[in-house]
Amino acid sequence: VETWIRSVFLGLALISTCSLAQELKTEGRGDETQASPQSVIKPDLRRREINEAEIDSENFEVGLYVGIISIEDFSSSTVLGARAAYHINEDFFVEAIYGRARAGETSFEILSGGSPFLTDDERDFRYYNLSAGYNLNGEVFLSQDLVFNSATYFTLGAGSTEFGGDEHFTLSIGAGYRLLLTDYMAVHFDVRDQIFNSEIIGQEKSTHNIEYAVGATFFF
Amino acid sequence: MLFAALIWGFALLGNQVLANEASPQVQVAEPYIELHSGPAEGYPVFHVAAKGEWLSVIKRRTSWFKVETTKGQQGWVKQQDLTLTLTSSGEPVIITEGSFAAHAQRNFELGAMAGVLESVPAISLTAAWVATENITTEVSFTQALGDFSESQLLMANLVFHPFPEWRWSPFVSLGGGRITTKPRANLVDSGAEQRSSDMLAAGLGLRYYLARNVVLKLEYQSLLAITDRDEQEELEQWKLGFAVFF
Repeated sequence: VETWIRSVFLGLALISTCSLAQELKTEGRGDETQASPQSVIKPDLRRREINEAEIDSENFEVGLYVGIISIEDFSSSTVLGARAAYHINEDFFVEAIYGRARAGETSFEILSGGSPFLTDDERDFRYYNLSAGYNLNGEVFLSQDLVFNSATYFTLGAGSTEFGGDEHFTLSIGAGYRLLLTDYMAVHFDVRDQIFNSEIIGQEKSTHNIEYAVGATFFF
Repeated sequence: MLFAALIWGFALLGNQVLANEASPQVQVAEPYIELHSGPAEGYPVFHVAAKGEWLSVIKRRTSWFKVETTKGQQGWVKQQDLTLTLTSSGEPVIITEGSFAAHAQRNFELGAMAGVLESVPAISLTAAWVATENITTEVSFTQALGDFSESQLLMANLVFHPFPEWRWSPFVSLGGGRITTKPRANLVDSGAEQRSSDMLAAGLGLRYYLARNVVLKLEYQSLLAITDRDEQEELEQWKLGFAVFF
């Protein structure tokens, strides 16, 4: 109610100022030095009160990516994945990733021409991980007027990889580049290494499964 | 593809809605306010808005606010600077989100923790609903990945915080759920098989309000598996992680 009364008073004040200015203008018409009217400021009475809850907060980022993953001993394959991130502050974010690929054949399987190591189902390579990331913020100047914000980031996390009929505890180390085309849309270029212990081809060893990916994400 | 299209649609819709309504405005009260070219301290200051100028607040990312001057210049202002401006009724602008005060008002929490369950690496995800300032109910999913087996735990917990107003706040938890253990593929041939049993859990932990929307959590849980066999199985779990609250 208070603001309403205030607006009414402001409105009245405005009208009286305007008419006063009008009178002054007509009075001073003969005088050339008074030619420019002084009251040109039009107060905008429809100013909206700031309400914290109404400010659109864009800290979440979701998107998809596609790339190539080199599955140790099992050739390289296309990988498809989804990513969700939450930005804690300008420097840190947390990220959840889910990806899937289909493993190819080992050199041995190809050369010997028989006895596959894995069944069809076991060749499904699926992973998820949760990582913490750190941004190095920057800008890209494509031309003098075309500037995009960007960030180079590093991630470290853990998760699980399902491959060869088992789930493996997986360490994920990554680096990426995010180019913000608009405030809410970004293109990503990522390199990630998924490290897990595996004994699929006999002896237990730690395998490195390096992936390159390009993706798009949206902030909301 | 459909997913991408949906997201794209939402983004467009969101923008449309935003464009249609007038943004709230604040007035610069200090001699000037700095506009950065991006939402981080490192981005250069490319414009300053003078005292008395009105700024429209468009959006927010972490603790940065995108504003537009009356002349149409857009830039990012940090939270501390925005709180030095005045609202349209002449009051100082107050932003509570991302403060310790907002932590007491939280309703939900999403968390991720990593640790060991009986010396096997384990990852946990939790979703919690804050019932009162002292009591939280949470659901957690844990996956433990060992050399011989893989276990999945689904638990519902009741968490009690005796001192919610402390930055370092201890808590105790009680819960129940179910564990499913699957042997490794190479052990299946030797006769091992999947089994599940009910679980009871009691825990003790410590949480620390870190910054903005984030708390760090350290928790110890003692778990009791109720098996069909003669003896019950006791397990121990340690986890360390974080939670984001809303």
